[in-house]
Amino acid sequence: MTGRIFRSIFLVACIVLVVCFAVIMGFMYRYFASTQKEALITETALAASGVEHSGMEYFDGLDGGKHRITWVDSSGRVLYDNEVSDVSSMENHADREEIAEALATGVGESERTSETLSERTIYYAKRLSDGSVLRLSVNRYTIVALVLGMLQPLAIILALAIAISAFAASRASKRIVRPFNNIDLDHPLENDSAYKEMAPFLTRLEAQRRRIAAQSEELNRKCEEFAAITDNMSECLILLTSDGTIVAMNKASMQLFGTDSGCIGNDILTLDRRSELRELVGSALEGKHCEMIIDFGTSKYQFSADPVLHDTVTDGVCILAFDVTARLLAETQRREFSANVSHEIKTPLQSIIGSAELIENGLVQEEDMPRFIGHIRSEASRLVMLIGDVIRLSQIDEGVYMEKEPVDLRELAEETVMSLTHSADAKHISLSVDGDAAVITGVRRLLQEMLFNLCDNAVKYNVEGGNVLIDIRDGTDAILLTVKDTGIGIPLEAQGRVFERFYRVDKSHSKDTGGTGLGLSIVKHAALYHGAEISLDSTVGVGTTITVRFKKQ
Amino acid sequence: MMRSRFDEQLATLHKELIRMGALCEDAISSARKALLEGSPELAEKVYPIDAEIDRMERDIETLCLKLLLHQQPVARDLRQISAALKMITDMERIGDQASDIAEIITFMQGKTSRDFVLIDDMAAAAGRMVTDSIDAYVRGDVELAHRVMREDDIVDELFSKVRKSLIDMMVSSPDEGEFALDILMIAKYFERIGDHATNIAEWVEFAVTGLHVTEAEI
Repeated sequence: MTGRIFRSIFLVACIVLVVCFAVIMGFMYRYFASTQKEALITETALAASGVEHSGMEYFDGLDGGKHRITWVDSSGRVLYDNEVSDVSSMENHADREEIAEALATGVGESERTSETLSERTIYYAKRLSDGSVLRLSVNRYTIVALVLGMLQPLAIILALAIAISAFAASRASKRIVRPFNNIDLDHPLENDSAYKEMAPFLTRLEAQRRRIAAQSEELNRKCEEFAAITDNMSECLILLTSDGTIVAMNKASMQLFGTDSGCIGNDILTLDRRSELRELVGSALEGKHCEMIIDFGTSKYQFSADPVLHDTVTDGVCILAFDVTARLLAETQRREFSANVSHEIKTPLQSIIGSAELIENGLVQEEDMPRFIGHIRSEASRLVMLIGDVIRLSQIDEGVYMEKEPVDLRELAEETVMSLTHSADAKHISLSVDGDAAVITGVRRLLQEMLFNLCDNAVKYNVEGGNVLIDIRDGTDAILLTVKDTGIGIPLEAQGRVFERFYRVDKSHSKDTGGTGLGLSIVKHAALYHGAEISLDSTVGVGTTITVRFKKQ
Repeated sequence: MMRSRFDEQLATLHKELIRMGALCEDAISSARKALLEGSPELAEKVYPIDAEIDRMERDIETLCLKLLLHQQPVARDLRQISAALKMITDMERIGDQASDIAEIITFMQGKTSRDFVLIDDMAAAAGRMVTDSIDAYVRGDVELAHRVMREDDIVDELFSKVRKSLIDMMVSSPDEGEFALDILMIAKYFERIGDHATNIAEWVEFAVTGLHVTEAEI
């Protein structure tokens, strides 16, 4: 800026200087030339009258000064020259322009440039009365010589001009620039010291500033919205660029991978490099949708990766993952359940068909008939029992509403004991009920079912001469129902599974005891329905204690 | 402009190295699974992984040399690149050993590591060492690298246990001699894998701190 202003000022100064100089020189030169010429004419007239008056003697002691005085006769021969002492050696001057003109007209003048270009000589000749001619000449400086002579002062002026221009330029540029430097860019319209010319610029700036502020606010809002949505969803969401760098991750995915927001900007490989995930990301980057289930510890996550397409180019990858452990487990259970149900139903049916075929073909002796028919009856009733259990379970599963009423657990327990006396007596097992009368609000049928199954199991899996104790305690915050037996017990590894449908600890003996494998499952569901907790304590060979804890509202 | 390209290439190197490490983990876990099932079909899955590891070694080597020649890195960058050059050699050896194990499994005639439980422990320990060494590299975690170096003793100890019980086995049932030798070879390969994981951990420490200490000095 300063440089530019300096150059402009200096250029102007120089141009002005040169023009002035040229004009002044031109005028001065013309003026000098005309005064010099007039002086020459006057001098010539003076000298001519002198020579006319006193002839050659006039020249004695004459100081020509700057002038050269030459006197020639009418034939052109030089009679006198104040700069040449030996006039006889001088050539004839008759052909000189000014002398020839003077001889002819009385006066003559001419101008000649000497060899050295810097000098010009002007001549003026006057014819005297005797026909001779007196000529005066004077040297005049040419314009070049004048200019050359002026060079030194000119250089001084030029130097001065440079100094002044530099100083002025720096002052000017500082002054011009100051308002620019002092502009408050954050508040463009509050600049009073700014130039008027800057107003459109500043207005535009303000408008853009406002637009940017509005846009960034909008952007922030959208980001916050996005974060709020993604952070509150239980599914994991990860966005990657086309080279696998993480752009965004929601809270759920950070938890899944055990990381924090510091991993954003890193490669997905730094998070997890198992082959399934690599394959998933790889195929999405190739533009293909990909889905797979990946194990994370004990949980299973369903991952699905989709390419983010921009036109036809893959710009990034969007990965969505959710926990499918429960769903997969439920699926497996459902599959197992239907397989088990079909199997459990098929076995007694086949037995019935077998017996019936034997009777049909007359292969059964008359005396064996009651045994076979009894077999058919018992298998059929087993089937009915099984189907009844399945129906009850599915009813509870479906969440069918059942009427709740006050039920006395003690009374119910005594009823159950009554119904089981027959089978208990067969194994010489003593059944007893102890504890308080406790009334809870519940579904009588379910509670009955629960107590029956618990006691039935306690009897069924008991030893000869063992005992079963049903204990009911009305506590301060809960009612505890405990069924304790001195039976065979449940091995530790099976304890977690006995409440599963169709699970049996000892598969080979299941036929002897005649259960459906659904008993404890029904107990579990009945307890769940009443919001009760079941705990199991069992030692093999010692016995099993099952406690159902009904919370008081 | 030059620098940003350099940084980009360094990031690529980092990524490729992690990918190669992940392949090593895959190779080991495939070999372990094949050993557990005694299945030649599963064992054959190791070969393509090993081939991919070999290919990656050449690629990363080329990238490292290109970086060294064109960018003339100094200090930390130089350490990272030279450590990478050393690490890929160890990783390549890990891949080779996994495929050697797979080859032995093919000839084991259905015998599995269930018949000799100690070998699966060794496989697990060696696999964990490799995983930890790669994790140490990913996070630049010197503490984890040190743990890998210490873990090598566990694998070595397991190897001597395997040896002892194999000797007992050969004495008690000479018919199992061939199986015992196969197991010994596999055990040796796992022990070697542990050594390579230790090397990787040492190079991780070098890349981070500039100090290259060998196992004995820890």
